[in-house]
Amino acid sequence: MTGDVILTFAADAPVGVAPWWVMLIPALPMLGVILCTLMAIAGVRSKLPAWVTVGCLGASFVVAVAMLLNHGEGAAVAKAWDWFHISWGDAQGQQFNAIFGFYIDRLTILWMLFVTGLATLIGLYASEYMSHDVGPGYCRFFVAFNLFVFSMACLVMGANMLMLYLGWEGVGLCSYLLIGYYYKKPSAVAAGKKAFIVNRIGDLGLALGVYLTFVHFGTIEYAELFASDKLAGYLEHASHGDFSHIPLAAQVIPMLLMVGAFGKSAQLPLYVWLPDAMEGPTPVSALIHAATMVTAGVFLIARTYPVFQVSEYALPTVAWIGGLTAFFSATIGMAQFDIKRIMAYSTVSQLGYMFAGLGVLTSVGAAAHVFTHAFFKALLFLCCGAVMHGFAGQLDLRKLSGLWRMKGWGIVSITMLVGCLNLAGFPVITSGFWSKDMIMAEAFVRPGMGPVGWLLLITAGLTAYYTFRVFFRVFVGPQEYHPGDELHDDGHGAEHFHPHAPGWAINSVLVILAVLSFVAIPLVALNHGGWVGEMIHGSTAHYEAHAEAGHHGSVWLAGFNPHAVMYYISAVVGIAGILVAYALHLRGRTSAGEAPAAEAFKNALGPVQRWAEHKWYVDELYDFLFRKPLWVLSQIFRYVDMLLVDGLVNTAGWIPSALGGRLRRGQNGVLQSYAASMAGGLALFVVVVLILASRSG
Amino acid sequence: MNSVLIPVSLALPVVFALLVAFMPAERARGTALVGMLLSAVPVLGLLFLFDYSRAAEFQFAASVEWAPQLGLSLSVGIDSVALLLIALTALLGPVCVLGSWTAITDRPRLFYSWLLVMQTAMIGVFAARDLVFFYMCFEFTLLPMFVLIGVFGSTNRKIASIKFFLYTFTGSLIALAGLVYVAWSASGHYGRWTLDIGELAAAARLMSPTEQGLVLAAMLAGFAVKVPLFPLHTWLPLAHTEAPTAGSVILAGVLLKLGTYGIYRFVLGFVPMAMVEHAPFLAVLAIIGIIYAGLICWVQTDVKKLVAYSSVSHLGFCVLGLLAVNTTGLSGSVMYMLSHGLSTGALFLMIGFMYERYHTRDMGQVQGLASKMPVWSSFMVFFVLASVGLPGLNGFVSEFLCLIGAFQSSSELVAAGHPGATAGALGPWYAAVAGVGMVVAAMYLLIMVGKVVWGELVEPAGHDDAHTGLPVDLSAREIAALLPLAAGCLIFGLFPQPLLGAIEAPVNVAVRSIEFEPVDVPHTTEHAEADLQVGEVAP
Repeated sequence: MTGDVILTFAADAPVGVAPWWVMLIPALPMLGVILCTLMAIAGVRSKLPAWVTVGCLGASFVVAVAMLLNHGEGAAVAKAWDWFHISWGDAQGQQFNAIFGFYIDRLTILWMLFVTGLATLIGLYASEYMSHDVGPGYCRFFVAFNLFVFSMACLVMGANMLMLYLGWEGVGLCSYLLIGYYYKKPSAVAAGKKAFIVNRIGDLGLALGVYLTFVHFGTIEYAELFASDKLAGYLEHASHGDFSHIPLAAQVIPMLLMVGAFGKSAQLPLYVWLPDAMEGPTPVSALIHAATMVTAGVFLIARTYPVFQVSEYALPTVAWIGGLTAFFSATIGMAQFDIKRIMAYSTVSQLGYMFAGLGVLTSVGAAAHVFTHAFFKALLFLCCGAVMHGFAGQLDLRKLSGLWRMKGWGIVSITMLVGCLNLAGFPVITSGFWSKDMIMAEAFVRPGMGPVGWLLLITAGLTAYYTFRVFFRVFVGPQEYHPGDELHDDGHGAEHFHPHAPGWAINSVLVILAVLSFVAIPLVALNHGGWVGEMIHGSTAHYEAHAEAGHHGSVWLAGFNPHAVMYYISAVVGIAGILVAYALHLRGRTSAGEAPAAEAFKNALGPVQRWAEHKWYVDELYDFLFRKPLWVLSQIFRYVDMLLVDGLVNTAGWIPSALGGRLRRGQNGVLQSYAASMAGGLALFVVVVLILASRSG
Repeated sequence: MNSVLIPVSLALPVVFALLVAFMPAERARGTALVGMLLSAVPVLGLLFLFDYSRAAEFQFAASVEWAPQLGLSLSVGIDSVALLLIALTALLGPVCVLGSWTAITDRPRLFYSWLLVMQTAMIGVFAARDLVFFYMCFEFTLLPMFVLIGVFGSTNRKIASIKFFLYTFTGSLIALAGLVYVAWSASGHYGRWTLDIGELAAAARLMSPTEQGLVLAAMLAGFAVKVPLFPLHTWLPLAHTEAPTAGSVILAGVLLKLGTYGIYRFVLGFVPMAMVEHAPFLAVLAIIGIIYAGLICWVQTDVKKLVAYSSVSHLGFCVLGLLAVNTTGLSGSVMYMLSHGLSTGALFLMIGFMYERYHTRDMGQVQGLASKMPVWSSFMVFFVLASVGLPGLNGFVSEFLCLIGAFQSSSELVAAGHPGATAGALGPWYAAVAGVGMVVAAMYLLIMVGKVVWGELVEPAGHDDAHTGLPVDLSAREIAALLPLAAGCLIFGLFPQPLLGAIEAPVNVAVRSIEFEPVDVPHTTEHAEADLQVGEVAP
């Protein structure tokens, strides 16, 4: 990093006291948890849990809006109670404190607005989507749904790293419970397990990062950490590009924290759980595995951005991992046939953009992309969910075609198009275009980050292609459908199947989300970052490179400023991707399964296409490298324990009885003899004491 | 008047044990339940009357002179650590009776009498202030457990009970030798005989480093077997698997804690410097135990054996916290003793309830109970999450503190000027490797839940609900046994501060009594840890 960049962050202002009612944001979903649990116990068999959930979450959203309107500059803390308070001295670092409380700054508010807002909408959608399960399952679903929002609120609003950790594992738990919602399905159970365990690996990194933060800075409270002179001193050094005066421990902290972020946000090499997580009900995929929970890693880095800046390698690593993940998962997404899986890989890929954004120092770009992505990706998932719901679980894009013209599917098709345009980064009229653009442009500005920029740019083309591959296959073209295998027991089988179009709850949520994806445009696009940029500037994620020299120092492509030309380049790349998808998947296609151009293209690629379809065999590789050896090792341990460790004990136990030649008598005999020997032990004790006493006395 | 409370807490279970022994067999369980509940009343009194502002002092002291010229007396008194462990014991008592209600049909009087006697012995261990009384109770706990396993256990009960008895008894005898040596050495120092634990602790520090090392080894022979610390753990899976439900609950809930409590009170209290010196080696054993036992859990098919091995793994964290010899680590360790008692005790109850219905513990034969026993399954998932260390529940509080304690505990880090580091012989690597245990725990526990709770329902061939005489899902009685534990897990996880605050004082006294080598700290304000505090003496 060059030495002409000056870093500042906005936590210099004193930390105030937040009003008590901000605690309603987590408290209301917790109320929802309690009410839905009571309904489960009472055996409620109606949609009541859904309405209670929508009510609680909606109220929580209203409080979040009030928090936005009420909040001024800087940060404020609201404390509920002392969670941990252990002290062994008076000096800094000799107390381990963690309050159960909340740290409110603009970053918090930004995140909570879209978390609670989307949760309310998706709760409404789920009221209809889950209606076939009304009863205990319905209650269970909404308990976990509310618990998720509570955990997410703790994660985002937490006043210290331990609160973040509480939320972090809490959302992981809800993810586990909801992925495994259809608990009779082995694949769903396995996917839930995988998600939790892979996340635990990341959590270990996060936990160690928290420990090291405490040991090095003597506190894990954000308010104290960000105000510490030590951190300020490091930032001063870092701003001059001088990392040699920053202790190794401080530079290792972000390396540990980012492991947690990679786990939760499904980045290389820990991304493998997210595609499998699509086993969960679609509203869950939309809320947890697309819009909110998976952005927790981005939030973690944004929240602790000053800590990341004091390490020479942390943010470049984040950028590279993000860029590689974006590209890698896009290649897998291109070759999948399950539309929900395609969306899952696109989520992994888009999260890669966000990490790359953080890594190339545009926290504004990253946050903007989180914000726009939340709306359009939730929209895309909910559209896929509507299709799945209507066609008995069918998600294969070779089995569905031309939904556009089917009766009742108009709203789904139009909103899907909106979502696809956003994801593909269609120029100017989509919010996804603007937010993605900021990240790509900045990647070319940062010295040394050019390759990441290229990765992201190529990925943008691939994204446009695979997104519209879905749209051109499923929603336009000749009309055709084959239902999935989740047929309802209503008397008629597959031959009499009629797709049932979505009802008002689903449709209205889709429309609202589509509208919001447009509303987001000015919020991220105006004045370089717009409203989202303002929110970030007033938070710990604020980063500003004052010196213009950095831009001129890294001239890209014949003297153009990347910020100026990226709009045009990414527009061209995006449209090109869409056109390729059109040529391969719509032009000349006569039925759902037959796309001659695409077949020819596939054959031209040879085995590469097959490898991509099999996800580059990463799951198999991990199984071979980690799970199998570990399993063998465990079996070895098991027998070592039985034969060797216990065998030694048995041998030792056998010696005295062999010497004494005594045989075991009956049960009572044994009991008595041990009672006797115990008494003997005591007697021996007393005797020894007596002898010693007489000798000394 | 307060001095009566501990003797009453000790006497009540024995009185009821006698009562149960002479009751008609069919009234035994009811009497036992009443006995357990009434025995908890004086313990509640202890909890309320305890002066938490003097938590490091031994309160409610009572003493009976026996042979004063030999220093022999029976004396009791508790600080907050002992108090909380006694409270845990008293809580688990009625839970055990409720959990055995229908399971024990043969010779109930024998069973419940010994269960009650067990309470006295365990409370006695925690309350003892002199060596004789401590050792009497410590050894006496073996007898009821021997009967519970040997008479009321399942197929291999005889081997299990004998192994349990011999293994722990042999260890205890060696520990006894170490304790006697301390007493002898102290008599030279004081010029008279004393077996008072406080006086012995003060004198033990004056022994030479070699002597301290030998005493450490002897004591650990007894306490490490009890914990159990790798590689001295093999009696535990067998004993747990064969024990009746109540036996497993007591074994996991309290008996294992006698080992860690022994380390806390005697090893740390008597020979702290030897403990610090050997901490790296012992920590390696603890960490091997965490991961080794965790991996063995992963390939178990017997669900009860899985939970038994998980105890070995979990207690590794507890020992690691003790070896950190700092306030966070010791607090975490004491919290671990309490929290493990709740969540693992509860897991054994859950498995007991399943076993009563299906008469098998094989995860291949019983699967997918969520669709048949939703209430049981909900509790199971809850306690597994508590055990896995999910924040917001009890396991997290203790595990987190033990790990951060080990992480901080490094004199090198103190010398390097890290404000959050404390004097000690471990460090970040110990915590990092032990932390892998968090991942392993998630693996084996979720795989267990994935089999037993989720998936398609599988029941053993020929299973018929009517034959068990129990409702398909949990009965009100069974829920009543589980609810206090579940509430404990939740309250403990969300509001650990009252407990942490209560144990802070004795833990800090223990930490400050350790005479670390002075460390050159860059900033003068951070000297408190390195200063020698000869005047203060550990428990």
